[in-house]
Amino acid sequence: MKPVTRTLLYCYLAVGLFVTLFLVHCGLTALTVTVPEQAMVNERVTFVMHSGAEPRIEEPGTYTTQLLAGIMVPKSWNARENAVLTFTSPKGNGTMRMIPNSEIEPVSGVNWHQAAKNMFGIGPNLVDDFEWIVYRSPQSYTFRNNEDISFDVNVECNVGAENMLARLGFYVGSSIENLRPEDTDYKKVAFSQVFEVTGGEGDLIDFVNPQLAAIQPVRSLDNDIITLTFDAGVTHTALDNQEDIYLTIKCFDEAGALIAEVNEQTDKTRLTDIGGKRFLLDFWPRGYFNLEKDQRIARLEYYCTDATGTQRVGYGNTEEPFTYTFRCQ
Amino acid sequence: MMKINVILPAVLLAFGLTALSSCEDGISNVSTAEAAKDITGSWKVVQLTRNGEDLSQRLDLTDFRIDFNPDGTYTLAEQLPFIANAPGTYSLSDPQYPFALILKPEGVQEDVVARFQFPVVEGERQLSLSFSLGCESNVYQFNFERENQDL
Repeated sequence: MKPVTRTLLYCYLAVGLFVTLFLVHCGLTALTVTVPEQAMVNERVTFVMHSGAEPRIEEPGTYTTQLLAGIMVPKSWNARENAVLTFTSPKGNGTMRMIPNSEIEPVSGVNWHQAAKNMFGIGPNLVDDFEWIVYRSPQSYTFRNNEDISFDVNVECNVGAENMLARLGFYVGSSIENLRPEDTDYKKVAFSQVFEVTGGEGDLIDFVNPQLAAIQPVRSLDNDIITLTFDAGVTHTALDNQEDIYLTIKCFDEAGALIAEVNEQTDKTRLTDIGGKRFLLDFWPRGYFNLEKDQRIARLEYYCTDATGTQRVGYGNTEEPFTYTFRCQ
Repeated sequence: MMKINVILPAVLLAFGLTALSSCEDGISNVSTAEAAKDITGSWKVVQLTRNGEDLSQRLDLTDFRIDFNPDGTYTLAEQLPFIANAPGTYSLSDPQYPFALILKPEGVQEDVVARFQFPVVEGERQLSLSFSLGCESNVYQFNFERENQDL
């Protein structure tokens, strides 16, 4: 190896060692969140993220970055339009700006919101109708060694018009670090305890608790293809140990009048066993109920049954049917 | 010697021009125009995704086909989850570089539009259409392959 090349290699290794020794110890403290237990529909609620920075930098080096903060909330809240994030810290206060959709997160190659969704998912929630939205402070802030600070990010957001149980997601990070999968120092994530929205009309949307039966997508119309799942592992029911689970289902119009009913134990109504005591059935409601062109389904009522149709399970393992309302909002 | 000095370049020039002109002919014979996209034929669904989730193995897609006829009309198999529920006419947003398939179903005033792609997958031309059926938040992608006309 030529002396010049060797020198360059040593320099490179030295810089790498310096970065490893000193900058890796820099980072953010654990994220905690203050989230109320419940709110009324359409109420404007404040959530607070608490975190801090612990810069450990070799003097006279500095570390300059912008603050990132993200929230994961139900899509129906329309948080992109109405959420406002502000931060308070010894280094300054300000209002954060949503990162534009057009800006690509460099590590993942997709936009920041999608990158956060890919990285953090939906946490402890079981049903996905959430979006991650990532914001950035307009200014950069420069840290010196041991300049430890605490900061808060306040999130003000309307909670939407639907009754729901959800666990919300929060993230803080450092803009120059991006969303590197291996990084644990500069990205901190937390999910709230169960947050309840009450006082609205319509079914409770429960993102948190395992459901005996559920239909996805959460939002759909009768011309969508929907997936009905039955999870026999949630609790003991009359259908314990049944190998075959069938569906019996009614559809109603906007006025509440019965349009059609499918009550048979055939291949059409048999759910597919997908393992783990879970069963599912995909269908297109308009075709399933053989609707006329001008007919519209507003609501479904259904039970899961055994092969004879005599043993059946409804909502909360009662005689009440499971229900599903078709809507987009 | 003088004669050779004059004749040799002249001959070389003549050869060169001939060669050049033949090159031009060769180049001009290669069509650089993008072919118009021909989607006529009978197409069957080979893959169906909803919001990126593959439903192909979970749904019976055997009867799911659409016919695009040379006269600009299309027909559907009965009762399908599709953006149009009636036969009608079709067109592409651009004959050479289409990004959308535009359907005019009979009895419907407004056009219905699907995002159009025309990739070659494992040697087979596919017709890939993306659209929403119910809520806009639910996006479906239907990938079709041409059916063997001899069957």
